[in-house]
Amino acid sequence: MKADDPGIRWLGPARLTLAEKLYLPLFVHGLTTTLRHLVKTVCGRSVTVSYPEEEPEIANPLIYRGVHRLNRDSQGRVKCVACFLCATACPAHCIDIVAAESPWPDREKYPEQFTIDELRCIFCGMCEEACPVDAIELTSLYNLTGRSREEMVFDKEKLLSVYDMTKDKEPMQSSRLGGTL
Amino acid sequence: MSNAQVLEILVKTAILLGGMATAGAYLVLLERKMAAWTQDRLGPNRVGIPFSRLRLFGLGQPLADGAKIVLKEDFTPRQADRTLFSLAPAIFLTAGFAAFAVIPFGSVLPSVSGGDPIRLVVAPGMNVGVIYLFAVSSIAVYGVILGGWASNSKYSFLGGLRSSAQLIAYELPLGLGLLGVVAIAGSLDFDEIIAAQTRAGWFGLTQPLGFLVFVIAAFAEAARLPFDLPECEQELVGGYHTEYSGMRLLMFLMTEFLHLITAAMLIVILYLGGWHLPGLTGVSEEVGWFGALLRVFVLTSKVLMVILFFMLVRWTWPRFRYDQLMALGWKVLLPLGLVNFVAVAVLDQIQTTWDLRGGWWGAAFAAVSWLVLACSLLAVAVCAPREADNRPRVAGV
Repeated sequence: MKADDPGIRWLGPARLTLAEKLYLPLFVHGLTTTLRHLVKTVCGRSVTVSYPEEEPEIANPLIYRGVHRLNRDSQGRVKCVACFLCATACPAHCIDIVAAESPWPDREKYPEQFTIDELRCIFCGMCEEACPVDAIELTSLYNLTGRSREEMVFDKEKLLSVYDMTKDKEPMQSSRLGGTL
Repeated sequence: MSNAQVLEILVKTAILLGGMATAGAYLVLLERKMAAWTQDRLGPNRVGIPFSRLRLFGLGQPLADGAKIVLKEDFTPRQADRTLFSLAPAIFLTAGFAAFAVIPFGSVLPSVSGGDPIRLVVAPGMNVGVIYLFAVSSIAVYGVILGGWASNSKYSFLGGLRSSAQLIAYELPLGLGLLGVVAIAGSLDFDEIIAAQTRAGWFGLTQPLGFLVFVIAAFAEAARLPFDLPECEQELVGGYHTEYSGMRLLMFLMTEFLHLITAAMLIVILYLGGWHLPGLTGVSEEVGWFGALLRVFVLTSKVLMVILFFMLVRWTWPRFRYDQLMALGWKVLLPLGLVNFVAVAVLDQIQTTWDLRGGWWGAAFAAVSWLVLACSLLAVAVCAPREADNRPRVAGV
């Protein structure tokens, strides 16, 4: 297509008003905006959080997707029924469950081992969505660190201990299934 | 020249070299802080005294930056012209420092030994100070072009090329803005120009159009945003100093901040009364120690204010496109500078001829010059010479 093709519709720049052409009013306008942000930040209302000294405020811990936990039921047993729905839903294949016959009469199976490789996890929350008994949940713990890869593979005890650590701050979400919320 | 005079000049040079280098380093911190604050961030605030927990709002940052950049490898690209590549930053830095020889950083200090008072400028009584400054600041362009050329890299070359075009284009309005000041002050000596302002009022108030032209041109001369085309990071990586690293990069970066200080000092000295503040500093040549230090303080505060303004503008305006930059320089600032000079000359001649120098007459003539400013801006807005048709040309249409 050539530049003189009749099919081309040339768009000019937007027409400026006189005040815009004068430049100075808009300049002053822009300067006040910058100055307003400057004054606001100097007065201590910046959005930056000085992390190790200050913890960031998580708006709603219940929907934050941090480290996993395995919930306990009212008798302190693991709630999981080893149905493998979370492991199936997991797009990163980071959940590994070994099921065994349940020692309790109210369910058929329970997880003998339940491991999550936190390094493979992409924190998408699909396991939480898939779980039919609300046994697996994502907490608002975000500062997950470790010194080795092995350390970052969380087993059942560790995941249960995450629950013990966070149960007061973040109650279980569904009361229908025995949660505390 | 007596030994005492030599010593005096050496001391003043040492104060200026050390002070300006330190000021340059701390302006980097200030720049980063201002950038952070305007963007709702905190900015560098961690580095304080090493091996202690004292952070001092990040005041140790310039030292850490300096140590880091000095320890970096000073790399020369294989294709570069080695001699010119090393020479360019040296020229740039020398020219940047040399400019301070004629810029007063205060008024006078009372003499210690009972002789003449000490003038707070390295080369006192240099009656072509303004011309010297312009000559030296033109040499700085040479360093930029040389650095861009010697690097043998596309980005550096384009940066150097743009820089040369921009600095030449804006040297003219800068000179024209200055012309009005020099004509009224009747001297090319910065001390005299300040003294003239103590008598006739600040030139920023009596020649607002020239002030505007000069400030805009000074932004361009210091290559500050919105006119930092020589080194616009998004297009040219780093502009003329893309290929530089280590000490030589540091020399370039420091000189840019020296230019910023020079530009701010020029604005203050030529248009904002230098060390003069009505009702506070007095105007006479004889001052005590307190008065002298007060004048240094007033001058420094004004310079700091102007620098803060420079940094605030940086985050207010986006960068000009190259053709917009040229259009602004040649089609707007140059005519405005001429208009300013004519207006200043005519008004001054009228005042001289009919001897209308009193307080109210002075105010009236200042009002007329503000009217000239308003009319010129209106004329620029109506004529809109900045608008350019960038459509591809079609033959025969």
